[in-house]
Amino acid sequence: MKLAPVDYLILALYFAFVLGIGWRLRKRISSSGDFLMSGRSVPVWITSLAFIAANLGAVELIGMAASGAKYGIMTAHFYWLGAIPAMLFMGIFMMPFYYGSKARSVPEYLKMRFDEKTRAFNAFSFAVMTIFSSGISMYALGLLLKLVLGWSFTVSVLASAAIVLAYTFLGGLTSAIYNEVLQFLLIALGFAPLAILSVMKAGGWQGIVSRLPPNMTHAWTYMGSPTENPMGVEIFGMVAGLGFVLSFGYWCTNFLVVQRAMAAESMSAARRTPLIGTIPKMFLPFIVIMPGIAAVVLAKMNLGYALPLKATGGPDYDQVLTTLMSQFYPAGLLGVGMTGLMASFMSGMAGNVTAFNTVFTYDIYQSYIRKGAPDDHYLTVGRVTTVVGVLLSIAAAYLATRYNNIMDLLQLVFGCVNAPLFATFLLGMFWKRATAHGAFAGLTSGTAAAFLTLSCTEAEGKGGWIAQVHQFPSQMAQNFWIAIVAFATCFVISVVVSLATRPRPDKEMEGLVYGLTKVPRDLTAKWYQRPAPLTVAVVIMLVILNIWFR
Amino acid sequence: MDLRVPSGWFFSLLGLILLGMGVFAPETHAALTTENVNLYAGACMLVFGLFLLLLAWRARSHE
Repeated sequence: MKLAPVDYLILALYFAFVLGIGWRLRKRISSSGDFLMSGRSVPVWITSLAFIAANLGAVELIGMAASGAKYGIMTAHFYWLGAIPAMLFMGIFMMPFYYGSKARSVPEYLKMRFDEKTRAFNAFSFAVMTIFSSGISMYALGLLLKLVLGWSFTVSVLASAAIVLAYTFLGGLTSAIYNEVLQFLLIALGFAPLAILSVMKAGGWQGIVSRLPPNMTHAWTYMGSPTENPMGVEIFGMVAGLGFVLSFGYWCTNFLVVQRAMAAESMSAARRTPLIGTIPKMFLPFIVIMPGIAAVVLAKMNLGYALPLKATGGPDYDQVLTTLMSQFYPAGLLGVGMTGLMASFMSGMAGNVTAFNTVFTYDIYQSYIRKGAPDDHYLTVGRVTTVVGVLLSIAAAYLATRYNNIMDLLQLVFGCVNAPLFATFLLGMFWKRATAHGAFAGLTSGTAAAFLTLSCTEAEGKGGWIAQVHQFPSQMAQNFWIAIVAFATCFVISVVVSLATRPRPDKEMEGLVYGLTKVPRDLTAKWYQRPAPLTVAVVIMLVILNIWFR
Repeated sequence: MDLRVPSGWFFSLLGLILLGMGVFAPETHAALTTENVNLYAGACMLVFGLFLLLLAWRARSHE
């Protein structure tokens, strides 16, 4: 694939706007709170789109098309089952505590609710994870651009990292959030034509259904046993593992996304952020997954299109998206598509970097390295951390070259770090008897249980380093079960240790725990802006979609 | 800063570039399609961009 001058013009235009937004926002920064938390002043439509855009990195974009080609419409569960219920729960039940507690980050909430050691554990593991995710995303993009356009891996990685660094350094979180929205719109508008063209060419949805095995076009029907569906998971693992533990762990406790909602201008806006975000999120599968499914059909139709192959043989699903673009997009729109890919990479990376610098500055530096310095000092630390975060991500990108299926690896990391976390938050927010020692014991044993499960079970040649107690039919199933085990362990240990330790006085937990906090009622909001009607509408749409693609 | 302004300008300009391609090079198309893809996509983006600018302009005149 070769880009024409007009494609480079589009790429340049986009970079100019991204940097321009950063430049215009630089004057809004006068304190560490402006830089790291947007001064809590961002309008709700912007935080809602940023909420889902921060998660829509290049890895997701490439990975979702790849999974679409590999697993079919079941991939949509990563959205319908694996995101939306958790986003609704977050907006309705959890946001009042995050926003109302005045915590500046998720780890800081843990400090207020429990104690220092739980915060430290969460802050450090989160910091490592953001760098890791950002590095994987960078690696995926660099590899792809090298493969597709013949650009140098190092040049494309360094150039895009430099642009992300420039606008996050200038305008902080606000700049990252504003650009994420521009990036989201570009991804949606840039990839929608691909979905439309490829599905039409494949004969519409009916044409796809008639040409594919039925387990590729049904999301629920073949989930009874792991051997019947291409993902190799059964309904319990799917619903409990992905739909409950992994998704709630990610969408409700991951500071990367929670930070976007916390930047909203009011409590009511913060609660509506994830709720409004579910609406575009619900329809994203049509843009990001459909082209992958259509690609499999097109390859069967003797049109001259074949699924891309790996050097070692077997299909290379990660290249499905770009090969489709080269088959459907002429010079011009191809530039938009490529810019969209770069944009997705940047929004993913900026999300990670801005979450990393906040957690490092407030939860690590201010808590353990230097307390009580003037705010100017922390603003400088925030800026320096932004630079360091980008540099560490680049290092992580080179580490990631050792793994090939990036989506599975991400799930693995989330499984071990995020899964127990949701149990801690659930108990912390809704059970006032949960104690600091209980939370810490639960969290550490849950994480240990995750790694232990990974070490004792095997799937597709991964894991099972210590022993091979169980063989999973797929890595996906293994990831889901690791999450289930981690969550259950954390939950049980937290409850047992909490009951054995001294409870904290109620008075200290006002605003932090359900039952001791007045849930805000926003009487100025119009009826359709209130959480309940919004949620009902979303649930109805979600049910219809799932019945349609059952 | 109202984000609708820079986004509106961005998509309007992008739409104009694609429309230009669609009008002046209508024969440009990729292997699997014969449609003038640039023309349609460009028109949609221009409309979207102008819509954002309109929203921003209305919000400003209301203040």
